[in-house]
Amino acid sequence: MTFAVQFLIDVLSLGGAYALMALGLVIVYGILRLVNFAYGELIMVAGYTMFLMNGSGAPWLIMALVAVAMAVAAGIATDYVAFRPVRAKSVTAVLITSFAFSTLLQNAALLFISPRPRPVPLPEIFSQTVTILGAVTPLRNLITIAAAVILLALFAWMMRSTVLGIAMRAAATNFTMARMLGVPANLIISSAFAISGFLGGVVGILWIGRIGTVVPGIGLEPLLVAFIATVIGGMRSMQGAVIGGFLLALIDTTLNYTLPQDLLKFRDAFTFSLVILILLWRPDGLIKGPASGQRT
Amino acid sequence: MKNSKPALLGAAAALLLLGTHAQAQDDKIMIGGAMSLTGVQAPLDTPALKGAEVAVKYLNDNGGLLGKQVELVNIDGKSDPVTVGNVAVELIDKGADLIMAPCDFDFGGPASREAQSAGLVGISTCASDPLYSSWSLGDKQFTLSMWNTTMGAVAADYAFKEKGWKTAYVVTDQFIAYTKSLSKYFVAQFKANGGEIILEDTYTNGDNNFSAQLARLQALGTKPDVIFLSSYGQDIGAIIRALREVGYDAPVMGGDAYDDPAMHEALGEKLGNNVFFVTHTWMGPEAHPDMPKFIDLYTQMHGSAPDTSFVSTGWDTVMMMAEAVKAAGSTDGAAVAKALEDGEFKLLTGDLNYGTAEEGHAPDKAAVMIELKGGKPTFVGWRRPESVPAP
Repeated sequence: MTFAVQFLIDVLSLGGAYALMALGLVIVYGILRLVNFAYGELIMVAGYTMFLMNGSGAPWLIMALVAVAMAVAAGIATDYVAFRPVRAKSVTAVLITSFAFSTLLQNAALLFISPRPRPVPLPEIFSQTVTILGAVTPLRNLITIAAAVILLALFAWMMRSTVLGIAMRAAATNFTMARMLGVPANLIISSAFAISGFLGGVVGILWIGRIGTVVPGIGLEPLLVAFIATVIGGMRSMQGAVIGGFLLALIDTTLNYTLPQDLLKFRDAFTFSLVILILLWRPDGLIKGPASGQRT
Repeated sequence: MKNSKPALLGAAAALLLLGTHAQAQDDKIMIGGAMSLTGVQAPLDTPALKGAEVAVKYLNDNGGLLGKQVELVNIDGKSDPVTVGNVAVELIDKGADLIMAPCDFDFGGPASREAQSAGLVGISTCASDPLYSSWSLGDKQFTLSMWNTTMGAVAADYAFKEKGWKTAYVVTDQFIAYTKSLSKYFVAQFKANGGEIILEDTYTNGDNNFSAQLARLQALGTKPDVIFLSSYGQDIGAIIRALREVGYDAPVMGGDAYDDPAMHEALGEKLGNNVFFVTHTWMGPEAHPDMPKFIDLYTQMHGSAPDTSFVSTGWDTVMMMAEAVKAAGSTDGAAVAKALEDGEFKLLTGDLNYGTAEEGHAPDKAAVMIELKGGKPTFVGWRRPESVPAP
C-alpha cells in the first residue's frame, strides 16, 4: 500500500510537471506549426529572475510572481524577435531564428551572470515532507500535482469558454479561415506565446524547486521532455500533450522502479524504444488534432 | 576518430610553418589554451582560464620566464571535442610552446593529442579520469589533477579508517567517465579496507528525480553508515535534498564535482550538513601559504574574489609549466616533459609528483577533504593515500 501510494505520487508529480511543459510547447505549435526551440530558455529566465531577486528582501511569493511575469515577457519577446519578422517567409528561417534566440539568451546568462550554477531562493515549504498512508513524500511533489491540476483546469476552461480561447482554437484548426472571419492573427499568436511563457515560468519554479540552483543550460532537459511528450500525445492536440506528459512520466518512473541495475544504465534507451513503439502504432500520436490546417 | 586524419595533416602543416613562425616570436613564450568558454565544460574551464591569466600576469610582472614575456592565448573550445582539437592545431600554428588542455578526458584529450603530435607538452587543468595518461595520450601529456584512483581512495580511507563507517550505499550517475570511475575506485578501496557495500544504485543525470532509488534504499530495511554519491552538476544538490528530506541523514561523500558554492548555498543551513567531499584545494591559508596572495592577485585582476576553487587549477598549471620550463632551460617538449617527470611540485592544489611515461604519468598527489556544516564548507585537511586502486 505504502509502495503504491509512493509510486502514484511520483508519477503524478513528475507527470504534472511534464504535462505543463508539453502544454506550453504545443500551444504555440498548434497555431504556428512551428516548434519554439527557445522554450527551455523561458525556464532559465524564471530561474535567473529568482536568483537576481535573491536578497532583495521581497517575500518569496512576490519573487515567484515576478519570475513568472519575466517568463511571460520572454515568451512575448520570442515572438517579436524570432518569429514575427520571418514567420510568413520561411519555415527554415523560423527554425533557425528560434535556435538563435535560444543561444543568445543562454550566452547572455553565461556572459553576464556566470557559467557556474547560481542558487535560487526556495521557501521552507519546498523542503518539508508529509506522511501519506506510510509514504514519506516531499510536500513540493503535492504542490506540483496541485499546480498542474489547477492550471490544467483553468486552461481547459479558458480554451472552451473565453473569446480568446475560442479564437485560439479556431486559429489552430484553420488559421486562414479564422483570419478571414476577423480573428486578429498577431494578437492570437502573441497570446499563445504569453501563455507559453506563463506555463514555462510556473514549470520553471516547480522544476528548479527540485534542484535549488540555476545554470544557463537548465532549459535543455525540459525542452526535450516537452518535445517527446507532445510527439507521443500528438503534436497538434492539447489534450494529447497533457496525456503524453503523464505517459512519459509513467514510463520513466516504472522503468526506474522495475529495471534491474545492469539495465537501468540504459533506461533512456528503453524509454525511447517504447516511444518508437507507440509511434509505430499511432504515427500521429495518441490523439489526433484538428484535421485541417496548413501552416500560415 | 573520423577527424584525426585531417587534424594530423593540419598538425604536420603547422609544424612546417612553425620553423619560420616560431622564430619571429622568439621574444615570447606562448601558452596556447583550448579552454571552453561556452557549453557544458564552461563551468570548469572558465575559472581555470581566469586563474591562468592571473598566473601569466604574475610571471610577467616578475621578470617573465627565461627572460622572455609569457603570453596566454585562448581560443574557445566550445565544449566540443572536435573544436578543441582544431583549436589546438590553430594555436600550434600560431606558435604555441605549451598547450593548456580543457578539464576532462573527453574534451581535453583532443588538445593533448595535437600537442603530442607537434612535440609539445600539454597539461589538462583538471581531468581526473585515469584515461588522461601518457599511456593513452603520449609521453609529453599530463593532467594537473589527481586521478580518480586517488579521489576515490581518499574518500574510502577517510570513511573507513578515520570515521569508522563500515557500510556504504553507493549511487553512480551514468553521465560521463568521471562519475562512473569515481564510484568504481571508491568501492574498490572501501572493500579493500574491509568495508561492506550494502547497495549500489544507478542514476541518470538530468532526471532530478530520485524517488525510485529512495524506494529501493528504504526496502533494504537497514540504514548505511555512509552514502557515496558520484554525480555531476546540479543533480548532486537535488539528490542530497531528496535523501535528507525523507530522513536519510547519514554522511554523504563525493568528489570534486561537489566543490560548488551555489550547491552549498542552495542546500543551506538545514540540509547542508554532514556532507564530505574530496577536492583539489581549499581557498584559505590553511591549504597553502600562498593562497591569500593568489586570491588577492585574482581579485585585483578580475574585480571580484574567486567563486570556486577551480581557479587554482589554472594558476597551478601555468606556474608548474613555468617551473618545468625553468628547470629544462627551454620550451623544448621533451626537455619540459622530463622536468615535469623529475620534479616535485608544491602547488596550491597539493604536492604533486608525476610517474614516468611508462607509469602513465600517474600523478601522486595530495587531496583536500572538505566538510559541509550548515551549508558552509570547512577545511578538514590534506590527505595523501598510502595506496590507491589500480587504474
